[in-house]
Amino acid sequence: MTKQVLEGIKVADFSWFGAGPICAENLGRYGATVVRVESEAHLDGLRSVAPFAMQPCPACEGKCCKECLNAGRVTKTGYNVSGYFNNYNANKYGVTINLSTEMGKEIARKLIAWCDVFITNQTNRMVDRWAFGFDELKKINPNIIAAYQPMQGFDGPHKDFFGFGAVLNAITGYNHLSGFPNRPPMGIGTNYPDYVINPGHTLIAILAALRHRKKTGEGQCVELAQIESVVSTLGPVVMDYNANGNNQIRKGNRLSYASPHGAFRCADIEWEKQPMDRWVAFGIFNDDQWRALVEAMDSPAWASDAKFATFDARKQNEDDLEANITDWTRDKAPHDAMALLQSKGIPAGVVQNARDVHEDEHIKARDYLEYLDHPETGVMAYDGSPFKMSKTPGKLTTPAPTIGQHNEYVCKDLLNMTDDEIAEALIEQALY
Amino acid sequence: MTKSALDDIRVLDLAGESGVYCTKLLADLGADVIRIEPPDGDPLRDIGPFWGDERNPERSLQFLHNNTNKRSITLDITKPEGKALFEKLVATADVVVETFQPGYLDSLGLGYAALTKIKPDIILTSITGFGQDGPHANYAWSDIVGVAMSGMMNLAGEKEDPPNRPYGNQSYICGSIDGAAGSMMALYHRDLTGEGQHIDVSMQEAMIINQETARLTWDMTGRIAQRTGARGLIPIDLPGIGIFNAKDGQIFAYLGTPGGARWTTMVDWMEREGLAEDLKEGENLEMVQSLDLAFLSSLVREPDKLPARIKVLSHMRQVFERFIANFDKWYIYEEAQKQRLMIGIVSTPEDLAKNPQLEHRKWYQDVDHGDGHKVRLAGPPYRLSATPWRIHTRAPLPGEHNTEIFTELNVASSDIDKLQSAGVI
Repeated sequence: MTKQVLEGIKVADFSWFGAGPICAENLGRYGATVVRVESEAHLDGLRSVAPFAMQPCPACEGKCCKECLNAGRVTKTGYNVSGYFNNYNANKYGVTINLSTEMGKEIARKLIAWCDVFITNQTNRMVDRWAFGFDELKKINPNIIAAYQPMQGFDGPHKDFFGFGAVLNAITGYNHLSGFPNRPPMGIGTNYPDYVINPGHTLIAILAALRHRKKTGEGQCVELAQIESVVSTLGPVVMDYNANGNNQIRKGNRLSYASPHGAFRCADIEWEKQPMDRWVAFGIFNDDQWRALVEAMDSPAWASDAKFATFDARKQNEDDLEANITDWTRDKAPHDAMALLQSKGIPAGVVQNARDVHEDEHIKARDYLEYLDHPETGVMAYDGSPFKMSKTPGKLTTPAPTIGQHNEYVCKDLLNMTDDEIAEALIEQALY
Repeated sequence: MTKSALDDIRVLDLAGESGVYCTKLLADLGADVIRIEPPDGDPLRDIGPFWGDERNPERSLQFLHNNTNKRSITLDITKPEGKALFEKLVATADVVVETFQPGYLDSLGLGYAALTKIKPDIILTSITGFGQDGPHANYAWSDIVGVAMSGMMNLAGEKEDPPNRPYGNQSYICGSIDGAAGSMMALYHRDLTGEGQHIDVSMQEAMIINQETARLTWDMTGRIAQRTGARGLIPIDLPGIGIFNAKDGQIFAYLGTPGGARWTTMVDWMEREGLAEDLKEGENLEMVQSLDLAFLSSLVREPDKLPARIKVLSHMRQVFERFIANFDKWYIYEEAQKQRLMIGIVSTPEDLAKNPQLEHRKWYQDVDHGDGHKVRLAGPPYRLSATPWRIHTRAPLPGEHNTEIFTELNVASSDIDKLQSAGVI
């Protein structure tokens, strides 16, 4: 096997929930040795959040089919069966360190001395309580790279404001700007910034710091204020207010420089004995694409109306335009509509659901999902590499640790603790 | 001046809308990013909104935001003379970022294999809708296609509406972030080994993890999550959870979640403002004392107990609504957070511009755009203590650095004129 990029880099992952663990998982995916620190006294909330692995059903002898999964079977219980947690913690050793014990703090200090990169998304209050501030860490490990992801930054009047992704969606403007104008600003369906925006920006910053360290030997502090990381991706809409006084609001799926642009309803299907609505999404960005769309629709009479002849005309008559297009999409299967539009060069995609993504021939052909066998959940599909490297591909090799799974390995093999020290730490509930 | 993380790195920026944020990330960490614009106009300069509200290729706010610190040349790489100049540039570059349809650069003789003949350790970063291979590699894409095909769009919106596209070209943003991270990872490897490589980012793949638990729910339980609207999965309107109207806008509340203060804190505050009504009495008080996320989960698990509780819960919600409606959104947000009540302001762009935290941290960047005009740009996504993120120069005008860069390449000034009249630059 080729050497992986980050082989030899040691990461102490003191984070929890999404934004921190995903960043650390990606360091592990490209070869770093990552130790994820948890404690039963301060449990990662995701270990208690669904989806959970299901109990095997007797009829299938443990090899369950999708049909019987819905036949009233119950989930497994315990800390180790959450897919939500597991998905962000592959390629990590798991150690439980109780940081409210003196001995736990001592083990944490050993880990900080051991690592090249420290990462946490705990609040400033917890960072202070545990003495994990950059100045403190430097005393233990002078060349450490330490990455922090406070919600609002280290300082300022809101430094102790708190929340999670859903609250951040509101505070950063995503909610106000997404969705239809006749609806309240309900948000975008998930704790969105936790999954790419914040862990991805943090990864870039850590790689910049690693590069600088390799050249100079010097470590540094990375501060990712989550609000700043998100608003930096929304620059132009704030500039529009600052420069022009325009205070924009959500416009549904429409886009100022495309028309039509949105999701169009296809034929419903039946799913679990209920109708399920299906949609195809596309946008028309120029007149060539408009002519291709008209052709794809078999040149209906309405399409030659002057109301739709130019971009400006289509923009003015967008309600009618969308209704007419829906007349055409409404009896089609979404994947057929996508294939037809794509065959004419129109950027189009099915509004896929989770099942579609799993069954997507393209996703399969590129092996995006990575399947790992976990002692308690069995085989589950983990999210794959954020980018494919032609010479040094990332790979997930070990499933998320069960809680405390590698306590002994981490203490003995990585931190060189003696058997007696480990036994004492267990008795004192420092490894807990 | 302090060092930058990438001040020894040159990037050639062929990116369209899908990847222009990637090259901004590299430029703001100190890389010398040369934006290569087609001589007949960079399409990104046509995208509004515009500074001054009038269409002007020098004043697209999208462009000004995404092209800080870059230099610009105009160059037609499809013409032989243009291609030759591009190849000269490649010889001086570390990274090339592009967003063309897979195979397009190959058709010009400028694909990854061809670039390595000019610069063996070159890193080519390609950000496309579906990646470089697979049955959809040649599908056309735009932002909404990446969002839709990832499964993310299926989760947002009211049941009666079409699925909602999240604002802000998020599949371009996520693809660009992953492209920048991939480029940095490849640079680290190159520094160690001298080996370059091709980085392949698919916007669809970049977005999939944003589904949160929906994909795993299918994988583990065979259930398909659908968009659930403002109420989420909860079948009734609950007090203190969701969007509420303040006097001058909205707030988003999530009371009762772990780590935050309890409803009793909320009602104490309401009482101090003289607006607690009867929430400190009888069965109302009982509910105030027991209401948290665990209690709500038990309601969902035991729906037969729900009807008896609904009257009290909806009364609490109404009192909460009346309380919020009495105050400005900023007051609610800041006062609630001081008491560790999980409430966020629903920010408009104006609120973002006036956010006192961003102001205190001097986050916005006032950048000189000539003639004494300053434009206020978004600030850093991250702050690095030793190699700071920095905007040192405004976005370039089209071809602003033609002479400077072509002179660096030893092109004679008479030749520059000739290339200009031939429409190559």
